[in-house]
Amino acid sequence: MTPPRADAPDVAVELRGITKRFPGTVANDAVDLTVRRGEIHALMGENGAGKSTLMSILYGMTRADAGSVLVDGREADFASPGDAMAAGLGMVHQSFKLFDSLSVAENVVLAAEPRRFGLVDRAAARRRVRELAEEHGLAVDPDARVGELPVGLRQRVEILKLLHRGARTLILDEPTAVLTPAEADALFAVLKSLAAQGRTVILVTHKLREVLEGSDRVTVLRDGRVVARLVTAETSADEIAAAMTGRAVELDRIHAPGTPGDVVLAVSGLTTDGVSEASLTVRAGEIVGIAGVAGNGQSELIEALAGLRPTTAGRVTLLQQDISHASATERRLKGLAYVPEDRHAVGTAPAASVAENLAMGHHRTTLSSRGLLPPAGVRAHARQLIERFGIKAPTPEVPASALSGGNLQKLLIGRELAHEVPLLLVEQPTRGVDIGAIQNIHDQLIAYRDAGHAVLLVSAELSEIRGLADRVLVMYEGRITASYDKNQADERTLGLAMAGGASREAVTVEAVD
Amino acid sequence: MFFDSDLLMSALRALTPILLAALGGAICERAGVFNIGLEGMMLMGCFTAVATSWFTGSPWLGVLAAALAAAAYSLILAVGTVTLRGDAVVLGVAMNLLAVGLTSFLLRTVFGVQGTFDDPSLAGLPLIGGLSPLAYVSWAAVAVAALMLSRHVWGLRLRGVGEAPDAAATLGVSPTKYKYAAVLVSGVLCGLAGAQLALGNVTLFTENMTAGRGWIAVVAVMLGRALPLGVLLAALLFGLAEAAGFRLQGLGLPQQATDAAPYVVTLGALFLTTARRRRRVRPSSTGAAS
Amino acid sequence: MNNRILGALRSPITFSVLAGVLIGALFLVGTGADPIASYEAVLTGSLGADGIGSTLTTGTSVLGMALALAIPLRAGLINLGGDGQMVLGGITAAVTGLYSPLPAPLTVVLALLAGMAAGAAYAALAALCENHFGVPLLVSSLLLSYPAVSLASYLARYPLKEPGSSLPQTRSLPDGVALPAFGDSTVTWGLVLVVLAAAAYWFTDQRTAIGYEIRMTGLNSRFAAYAGVERRGLTLKLMSVSGATAGLVGAIGVLSFPYRFVDGSLTAPGYTWTGLTAALLATAAPLGTVVASFFFAVLQVGGLAMERTTEVPRELTQVLQAIVIVFLAARLRFPSRWFNRRKEAV
Repeated sequence: MTPPRADAPDVAVELRGITKRFPGTVANDAVDLTVRRGEIHALMGENGAGKSTLMSILYGMTRADAGSVLVDGREADFASPGDAMAAGLGMVHQSFKLFDSLSVAENVVLAAEPRRFGLVDRAAARRRVRELAEEHGLAVDPDARVGELPVGLRQRVEILKLLHRGARTLILDEPTAVLTPAEADALFAVLKSLAAQGRTVILVTHKLREVLEGSDRVTVLRDGRVVARLVTAETSADEIAAAMTGRAVELDRIHAPGTPGDVVLAVSGLTTDGVSEASLTVRAGEIVGIAGVAGNGQSELIEALAGLRPTTAGRVTLLQQDISHASATERRLKGLAYVPEDRHAVGTAPAASVAENLAMGHHRTTLSSRGLLPPAGVRAHARQLIERFGIKAPTPEVPASALSGGNLQKLLIGRELAHEVPLLLVEQPTRGVDIGAIQNIHDQLIAYRDAGHAVLLVSAELSEIRGLADRVLVMYEGRITASYDKNQADERTLGLAMAGGASREAVTVEAVD
Repeated sequence: MFFDSDLLMSALRALTPILLAALGGAICERAGVFNIGLEGMMLMGCFTAVATSWFTGSPWLGVLAAALAAAAYSLILAVGTVTLRGDAVVLGVAMNLLAVGLTSFLLRTVFGVQGTFDDPSLAGLPLIGGLSPLAYVSWAAVAVAALMLSRHVWGLRLRGVGEAPDAAATLGVSPTKYKYAAVLVSGVLCGLAGAQLALGNVTLFTENMTAGRGWIAVVAVMLGRALPLGVLLAALLFGLAEAAGFRLQGLGLPQQATDAAPYVVTLGALFLTTARRRRRVRPSSTGAAS
Repeated sequence: MNNRILGALRSPITFSVLAGVLIGALFLVGTGADPIASYEAVLTGSLGADGIGSTLTTGTSVLGMALALAIPLRAGLINLGGDGQMVLGGITAAVTGLYSPLPAPLTVVLALLAGMAAGAAYAALAALCENHFGVPLLVSSLLLSYPAVSLASYLARYPLKEPGSSLPQTRSLPDGVALPAFGDSTVTWGLVLVVLAAAAYWFTDQRTAIGYEIRMTGLNSRFAAYAGVERRGLTLKLMSVSGATAGLVGAIGVLSFPYRFVDGSLTAPGYTWTGLTAALLATAAPLGTVVASFFFAVLQVGGLAMERTTEVPRELTQVLQAIVIVFLAARLRFPSRWFNRRKEAV
């Protein structure tokens, strides 16, 4: 461990007047940021506020157009993350940069290996990992394959990587996005102990609760500018939220409940890779939300329901028709639509035009007759949907890749809603979408429900689930462990269930005939 | 006795070019570069070896020149797929076609013949213990590759680059450098393979003399899961099949059956290994855009 | 309209073709030949009155094989077994032609259909390897090709060999069992069949629901799968059609002069690989495939003419072809600066 120099200045990292422009937007506008040594400093803001850009400038991944970066009081000009690491910085990215097929020790030491005659000194690497783990409370098995580790441990490996290189300032980008509340607490304990040792932590996040509980000071960005510099102990959730969005925000807007009718989807005992004995029902006119930390079987369950994943047991009926073994096509024909979580890799074909993307699923029903697909019909259909869902596209012929994230998501959701089918499966509907589009998408989903359809919603954003769902189910380790009505589903109860602490009593499920 | 030492020697002779090329393919695979241009690189090696040996009188210079020429040729793949992010499959196929055309063209312009250049005074490689020196080189290469990949610092970084180039980049390991290195190494190895084909077993150059061996090497990489030892076993399987085929020919089976035998055997081996292992499918898309 | 022309000019295809032509010129200069004269020889030799017949005949096979490869390529599938499927189609057509009891015109039809069926079945085999055994199509189709060629070779040299001849060929087909030719030229109705196939491909691709599914699969296979497009069924169907087309080319070859199956004659001109490069150059688009096939047929026939008049080896056109594809694969294009007169998204 490299303790900070005794004569090091009080300020660990300072960014002065950082400006960065991209075509059409200013990501950072004369941003000043001062982070003191030994503190946990939160950098907050919504998607697109400029936090990631700022940190990538600090970490040498991009160059600023103007401004300067000072580390330990000295001006720094990083051309690559390697330079930043050499200066004592270390970053844990939002999506981990790990080598799944290699061991923990190999991941930690790669590019800074202990050597013997040019070969990697494996014993020394293992020893090093054990030492660091013990010293900082980050226990993990050096020989375990990283690909087999749960998310919480993978994050530990990321932190160990930085500590192995003697990082004095750690930058963590949305570290708790994939952690349960309990794991997040454990992380913060580690961070606090690192800070107590004189290391500095910069936390890039939009999660209010953790910032309030774990940080010392907060800097808020909005639209590329610093709009607030706060001391955590002296501020409040409302003040921070208002600074992030620029208006008095109705935090956690809760929509009015629906009026449930007949059962549309009935699942009993569904078992597949990652899901055991899942049972649930969704009625017409209701939204059922599945909460749970990502990786507890939600994606697998939805994929199985959509017909994209084989099941080993269980029964699924849609409008009383058995679709347990139906193909994806058949399920769609029987009245299922599906918004997948990955809009780029699964939900659309970015290289195809907007019109072609909007045609998918309709190309064998409303748009075609006897196998023929007239292009004029495809275009008209596209124009209709573009107008109805407010998709901002110059023409229907531009490739879908030209659309912004929010518009692409509107395209995807609009296309699936346009099927007007009894059951809609939707995953992470507003991930990576700016706040204006989020409201719009939520309104669309509520309207779909109120038109008498059934919606099964999976989201990692608790506020989204709580705002939209009439009933909330919690998944933990492949099982549905809890079911709550709208009024029972407060954050604390849900958080507890998500972490595995749901009550042992059986979850009452409607009998499926 | 069908399986005797003669068969083994025959198999080992057939093994060398495939092993060298497959080793190169495996190293590229570990670095995350899908190299199906092995056939073309080998063929360039064949021609360069023969031409150099003819003009200098030394087969060893021929070997050296073959390695260098194939390495230079491999830069097409390196630049095309690493720097310019082109499609590796299309590039590989194109490189194979180019090599055939180029070597045939050069055969006519440099040697003035069509089809085969076969001069008795063309110096070939001497035999040591019944085998070409490059055979021993190939076995040593397997050992070196195995050691480097699993234990050496460069090997660890190469594997990291192949598995997750972004992750490697954030650690300061340049994926570009390692991928280029892997492709160049495969070029050198394919050059040696070509030299072995043209100056080892026989001493001549025929149009398209690699005759699909580069493709077999690609399959050997798949069978051997890009591990040096696995690739050795896979290449040995092919070598045995080919040798057995010649033996069967001697026993009266038509030549066409023995020609086909190695491919059938390789295909069968692929069935057995992939059926057990399920998902090892390479992305087959070439981005056929409208 | 202006934008589309600019767009076409800026496309990687234009750049690659230009690059190929330039580098070809360099080679020519390097061997002491005159590039202009050589290229002129290529064009007059292939498009002139004497050569156009050859070009169209060659073009029949090139376009046929290009279609055979383009059809699955449109969905991102690579069929490298064209040689095997074509040869099986040829030998099957030969057998049908030799032993069919039907009158000649019906035999011709039967032989074409039999050839197509043989090619389709063999290509379907490769598809099954991928669907049920997980062997990548790229590999299975290629590996299956060699035994098929060997089988046909064996049949032509032994059981079906023409008695009394030392050549590796079958007996000549009975009188009348042949594709009618146009006038005195070597161009047969095979050309018409292949052009019809191209038209069918265009129509399916642009105007049908399944063509849409194929294109979407090629652009993002996960997207198509999520939306319910069955990849396995599609693979099998596309490979069957692909094999059928290759088999058709083989059958056409046998039903044209010299009206027999000759071992090696179908594969020697390298139509499969030329067809592949045409399909790649056109990124499997229907109209583009036709244009590219014609372009490469011109090169191939023109190359021979060039060799006759300038003594430049005909292999140069092969080199040129490959260079075009290399540049295309590397996705090089003219920098947008060169074309930017107005700030518009092209």
